[in-house]
Amino acid sequence: MTLVFQSLRKVYGEVVAIDGVSTDFAPGMIHGVIGPNGAGKSTLINMTAGSYTVSSGSITLDGKRLDKLKKYQIANSGIARTYQNIRLFDQMSAIENLEVCFYPAEVAAAWREVIWPPYANAQRRRRREKCMEILRFFDLQGYADVDAGGLPYGRQRMLEIARALVANPRVLLLDEPAAGLNHHETAELTAKLTALRSPDRIMIVVEHDMDLVMTLCDSIIVMHHGKLLFRGTPSEVQASTDVQLAYLGTANDIDDIRAAAQDRRAQLGIRARRRS
Amino acid sequence: MLGNLIQQTVNALTIGSIYALIALGYTMVYGVLRMINFAHGEMFMLGAYVAFLALSLLVGDVGMSGALALTVAFLVAIFLVGLIGVGIERVAYKPLRSSTRLAPMLSSLGVSLSLVTGVQILAGPQPVAFPSFFPVVRYQVMGGTITLMQIGILIAAFVLMFGLHVLVNRSRIGIIVRAVSESRPTAQLLGINVNGAISMVFFVGPLLGAAGGILYSSYYGIMSPSMGAVIGLKAFTAAILGGIGSIPGAMLGAFILAFIEVWGTALLPIVTNGVLGTEYRDVLAFAILILVLLVRPAGILGEAVSEESIVYKREF
Amino acid sequence: MAAADTLAAARPPANRTISWLVFAIAIALIVATPFLPNYHVRVLNSLLIYILLGIGLNIVIGYTGLLDLGFVAFYAVGAYSYGLLASPQLGLHMPFLLILLVAACLGAVTGILLGIPVLRLRGDYLAIVTLGFGEIIRIIINNLDWLTGGPQGIARLDKASILGIQIARPIDFFWLLLITVLIVGTVVWRLERSILGKAWAAIREDQDAARGIGINTTNAKLAAFATSATIGSIAGAIFAASQRFVSPESFTLQESVLIVLMIVVGGIGNIFGIVAGAAILILLPELLREFAEWRILFLGLLMISLIIARPAGIVPRSFGPEKLIRGLFGK
Repeated sequence: MTLVFQSLRKVYGEVVAIDGVSTDFAPGMIHGVIGPNGAGKSTLINMTAGSYTVSSGSITLDGKRLDKLKKYQIANSGIARTYQNIRLFDQMSAIENLEVCFYPAEVAAAWREVIWPPYANAQRRRRREKCMEILRFFDLQGYADVDAGGLPYGRQRMLEIARALVANPRVLLLDEPAAGLNHHETAELTAKLTALRSPDRIMIVVEHDMDLVMTLCDSIIVMHHGKLLFRGTPSEVQASTDVQLAYLGTANDIDDIRAAAQDRRAQLGIRARRRS
Repeated sequence: MLGNLIQQTVNALTIGSIYALIALGYTMVYGVLRMINFAHGEMFMLGAYVAFLALSLLVGDVGMSGALALTVAFLVAIFLVGLIGVGIERVAYKPLRSSTRLAPMLSSLGVSLSLVTGVQILAGPQPVAFPSFFPVVRYQVMGGTITLMQIGILIAAFVLMFGLHVLVNRSRIGIIVRAVSESRPTAQLLGINVNGAISMVFFVGPLLGAAGGILYSSYYGIMSPSMGAVIGLKAFTAAILGGIGSIPGAMLGAFILAFIEVWGTALLPIVTNGVLGTEYRDVLAFAILILVLLVRPAGILGEAVSEESIVYKREF
Repeated sequence: MAAADTLAAARPPANRTISWLVFAIAIALIVATPFLPNYHVRVLNSLLIYILLGIGLNIVIGYTGLLDLGFVAFYAVGAYSYGLLASPQLGLHMPFLLILLVAACLGAVTGILLGIPVLRLRGDYLAIVTLGFGEIIRIIINNLDWLTGGPQGIARLDKASILGIQIARPIDFFWLLLITVLIVGTVVWRLERSILGKAWAAIREDQDAARGIGINTTNAKLAAFATSATIGSIAGAIFAASQRFVSPESFTLQESVLIVLMIVVGGIGNIFGIVAGAAILILLPELLREFAEWRILFLGLLMISLIIARPAGIVPRSFGPEKLIRGLFGK
């Protein structure tokens, strides 16, 4: 039972961002997704999490179809994510950022929290304890009552991962978790992520930091021009000539880029006229 | 019947062109700042009051006569209101540009409140008769009556809109404004004078709105400090109807709204057998607004803005 | 900002003096009220009604971050509920408490009916659609003469009574309103601290990320809308009972803007801020009666300058009921 993509496609107007990707992700492993800029890595994550709609094909988790669900339903089906640009609830404290994740499970009893103070206090205490535990794992306990927006950048990255873990998700999607982190913080992140590996959990990491990907991941898929180019272990990926070509490019690519740029200009021309 | 048809069509065109002048200001401001300027309706009101003041000064103190005074008053008023618009942006909105999206809108509510009461204090809260800018001439066209004023309003509105079209599409400043509305951060990175573009929008928008206010007051022969609110709301409806951020959309939306309103008002008592009378005209406009937003939130000519294409950090 | 600074700012020591001062002023005011002339009690009543309205609207604007400019429509629903069910207009004379219940339900239903289509919209449009909705309700009330009496409104409303105790003098309404404000305030404060309140805050901060953690944002917003509408409607019913007269004039767009202004001035999202905002907006004009015309101009300018200079309002966000209790009892 796994997370399965079946001939997944994503089309923006004329542009094909994801072009028939079929693959699956097994639990208990950390999967890396790499590829040059614009290869469709983030689109893949965003479609899985329901932030983008799926043009055609399907995404299933343990046999359950996800791509037709709304974003919050997908989240409640056991998929949690972080964002490329950190998206925390800035004016809420670090621990509140985590506590709010109990909403889907506990909103039905919210009225009891309003009318019966002892119940509310017990609930709050229980939530706080659980979240504190997660914060401690990320060494964030000292920041529990600080507004998330006021945290240092590296802590914010950690807090976002912590938030994704509150609901104990089956699938954890990490969109460039190391972006903007310094060397020391990246090492810390690697340690935490490795520790998060568990037999039930499917972890998918989109990342540009090759060192991180190669040390962290058990399996890597390489995306190129919206297609799945290669799949294998880190050492297989490093050995593959296809992958090297995709990253370094060939002589033909220069022409491709020129053509693409011309295309883009033509499109912009049309768009500008329409907008005015 | 045919006469009635023609007359109602001309009525709708007249009102539509006034709506269009105001809707353009909303749409342009939204385009560059992604902000609803609640004080824009007040530019419409200010236009009428400033023109009235200018006119009485020109005729009374300077002794200028008739048509010349009217033209000068019109031009002076719209220019002054344009400058007021730029000033308001500098004082009330510019400091809030990096704030939450709610902040400038709340600020514009404050501006709106201040302007309405300011004019109430200076000129009195009661409606004032407004001079007609055109001599009363009626034409009979196939049984319908069309006035010279309606023709004048249509011509004035179209000249202004054509001017805007040229400004936006053929001038350097127009390109800058378009670049800023496409993406403010990118424009900034490219060294484009973003403040200049925003000032430009806050000059042209109020200028057109003021022109709309003068024409409107002249058409109905009356002005009041509170007249901006409902008209502003309708013009905003028109802007959304056409697709907010789109200049041709604002014009199209304005005419569609005016036609629905004029025809709806004419038909409502007939269709509902007198149960719903003409006083439900404004309800009709808002009902359309809600309907459009539900069926096609991007408007007729607007780009489909989904979560995917624009993800705001704080969609308030 | 250094981590140490933010840490200190997040948990300031409970300020005993301020807490006791606030508490003492409130108690003194309440104790003194029965001895005030009727006119002053009426001013206080109007203050309490605005506090009630502010608490209601604040759920939508302050907690959930949605700009609702048609709040006055729910106020009108409540007021006309009383106007129609306790007057010669329809010949109905229902008891006050029953009408209060009806008004609350009607308010919630109107809130949900408006919310269902509107809350799917992008944030900016919400302001304009609710504004339009407020106007629609006012126009309908104005023109539905056979039901609402049109612009003349409905006069000679019944005197209210609760369980046989007649509520007619201003001081009676003062106690009624005070109790209502305390109950509603407590409920709303507890709601804010509940898991639903946390979800509202998350929606305010980042709606898309809120969906990403499994919050059904439409439902959560609908709950906010309905709660807010219910409170607005209750305030309307009490307002109508105290005036014994309702007319469309009380429910203009300006009224909606005034309530928004109150929230902004006091401090968005803070119950104590609303009390302060209402006090400034209601009491200040009373003090400046000779300058009646100038006060709204002044308020408008105050709103602009506050948003620019002190966007959090005059009462700091951190000073909420929790802080007061902690200050009073040293917990």
